[in-house]
Amino acid sequence: MSSPTAENTTARAGTIRKAVVVGGNRIPFARSGGAYAHASNQDMLTAALDGLVARFGLQDESIGEVAAGAVLKHSRDFNLTREAVLGSALLATTPAYDLQQACATGMEAVIGLSNKIKLGQIDSAIAGGVDSASDAPIAVSEGLRAILLDLNRAKTMAGKVKILGRLRPRDLAPDTPSTGEPRTGLSMGEHQALTTAQWKITRQAQDELALASHKNLAAAYDRHFFDDLVTPFRGLTRDSNLRADSSLEKLAKLKPVFGRNLGDAATMTAGNSTPLTDGASTVLLASEDWARDHELPMLANVVDGEAAAVDFVHGRDGLLMAPVFAVPRLLARNGLTFDDIDYFEIHEAFAGTVLSTLAAWEDEEFGRTRLGLDGAFGTVDRSKLNINGSSLAAGHPFAATGGRLIATLAKMLSERGLVDGRPARGLVSVCAAGGQGVVALLEAR
Amino acid sequence: MENVLTEMPSLSKLYVNAAATAAMKRLARSVPVVALPTRALEVRGVTADLAKLTAFAHLLGKPARDVLPSGYIHALAFPVAMGVMVQDDFPLPLLGMVHLRNQVDHYAAVRFTDVLTIRAWARDLAGHRAGTQVQLVVEVRNSDGTALLWRGVSTYLAKGIYLPGLDKPSPRPAGAQREPFSAPQPTAQWRLGVDTGRAYAAVSGDFNPIHLSVLSAKALGLRRSIAHGMYAASRVVSDIGSPKPEAFSWDIAFEAPIFLPATVSVHIADTRADDGGWLGSEFTAWNARSARVHFRGSVTAGTTQP
Repeated sequence: MSSPTAENTTARAGTIRKAVVVGGNRIPFARSGGAYAHASNQDMLTAALDGLVARFGLQDESIGEVAAGAVLKHSRDFNLTREAVLGSALLATTPAYDLQQACATGMEAVIGLSNKIKLGQIDSAIAGGVDSASDAPIAVSEGLRAILLDLNRAKTMAGKVKILGRLRPRDLAPDTPSTGEPRTGLSMGEHQALTTAQWKITRQAQDELALASHKNLAAAYDRHFFDDLVTPFRGLTRDSNLRADSSLEKLAKLKPVFGRNLGDAATMTAGNSTPLTDGASTVLLASEDWARDHELPMLANVVDGEAAAVDFVHGRDGLLMAPVFAVPRLLARNGLTFDDIDYFEIHEAFAGTVLSTLAAWEDEEFGRTRLGLDGAFGTVDRSKLNINGSSLAAGHPFAATGGRLIATLAKMLSERGLVDGRPARGLVSVCAAGGQGVVALLEAR
Repeated sequence: MENVLTEMPSLSKLYVNAAATAAMKRLARSVPVVALPTRALEVRGVTADLAKLTAFAHLLGKPARDVLPSGYIHALAFPVAMGVMVQDDFPLPLLGMVHLRNQVDHYAAVRFTDVLTIRAWARDLAGHRAGTQVQLVVEVRNSDGTALLWRGVSTYLAKGIYLPGLDKPSPRPAGAQREPFSAPQPTAQWRLGVDTGRAYAAVSGDFNPIHLSVLSAKALGLRRSIAHGMYAASRVVSDIGSPKPEAFSWDIAFEAPIFLPATVSVHIADTRADDGGWLGSEFTAWNARSARVHFRGSVTAGTTQP
């Protein structure tokens, strides 16, 4: 595989060198309450890391830095990633940190670590993410928490008894996590239902996208595309949400679950929305020299990344629409248009999210008034979109999705090689809670 | 000669039978048996239970992997070893036996999906200054028994039992006095609550009364309940870990029992190759107050020949 230019020299301080994706490993994703119901985030992240270490022979290696995170996280897991490193075959001298940017956690881990490699601060890195909707943290109520903390501070028995007297039955009800936005009280699905309706995305279009996701993912498994990207865990060898035998008829029978107050406009079902999922993913990143020294493959360069956020609280944009703004900025900075992109990996939080995003980019007025362009931003060639399936079929363990997308795309780019004499290019786009989005540009080696 | 069972013996039944057998032996036999039964006991078609394996790993504060932790394999195979020790012609009483040493070799990673053949037999009945010792060998093989995956040798002491023809009780020979223990800087400190034995019993299935409560331990002559030796071994071996779960070995010798509750100081020291690769670790654990050694041993990359 040839490189476009001759910039492949080791970075001197202050110069920029390339960061490459060596490969990835994840465990199959499982619908919550299923195969991983009793596996913790620590179990799953460790399993994904073990598989990566085994695949690339990293036993007794010290890695520059490992960064990963979880969206739903127990307070005891404050050092989740470092603990996974300590439990792995990596040398204990490998530093690690946790990060969290909702569903974009894995993406931010890849971009941040790639930047450190580019700057010459580290030579190798592992980005990752994990989430369990099954083994979710449950906290005590605010009332009970305040009482327990006061009890701990009380000095006398009389003081303790007095504090305990404040305890009411309602204080014993646990506090469970939810997917609701703290500022709007709407769940992610309800938010997307509003956006889906705003962009007039039909039920049929959503079901078709969902079906394509299942068919594409199943086909990719069947041709062994994931053999070097996935390691079985707890008896699961494929994503348990995958329905290879799904059909438009089956999907059409499902009742809407989000936006039901929209009446006939309710189009979002369990079939065209991502289920709660458990899973973990990891990606091995490196400088070119490190990869060569270790005789490891170089699948793709991490070219650039961009984050964006929208004001969904005041209703200006939909909760999951931030990538609509991030992608035009990222491409403009790199002098590219959609015509220069060979693969689009757009995270399918909901089929409606992907279709609303595409609709916004195709909209003349939106392009002029919101993106500051002369007209519509562009049209994504659907034959280049999520061609090996995406979250609707695989499931979406929040922080693990970025790693799945980056590793999948890097392998696709590597297989494609050159397009019209230039390296194949791919775009990853991930929306996230809080009205955020992170996108990245990769190119084949 | 061997005895093949179609299912795992139940540990709780074995413990009850052991108590009954011990009483009957005392009544019925005046001349004790001094030879070990030559039969091996074999159970085929054994698989790990994923839920129990997960609980086991989590009790030790470790991630639950598809590969079975060493201590869990011991727990899984333990009923077969027990089955050997409760046979009518086994010369030593099961209850009250003390765990002296464990040597384990891993020849392959054992996964929870593997169908296993477990075989156990007794060997090396020998005199000990405080009683009679015996070794229980446990082999874990693949389903058709052709590949050895894991092998454990446990040495037990029947305290105060002296069999004719074996060594007589004797004071510790002068030359064999232990070196006075000089505690190193601890690398870890385990705070073990009174429920440590019950918690380990729940995940390992080893409900030996000496571990469960003060009362049940007193019934067997101990002043308080003690931690399972295998809890300590499982914990320290998993703390050290092996970069290659398919090829490592460990060895632990138990000294003073850990009476619960306890604070145990632990020291781990690595040996590494010039390139930084892990070769092995030595460990020692002692009572933080009395400085009595509870156990010591090593984990080593690679295995000894089976």
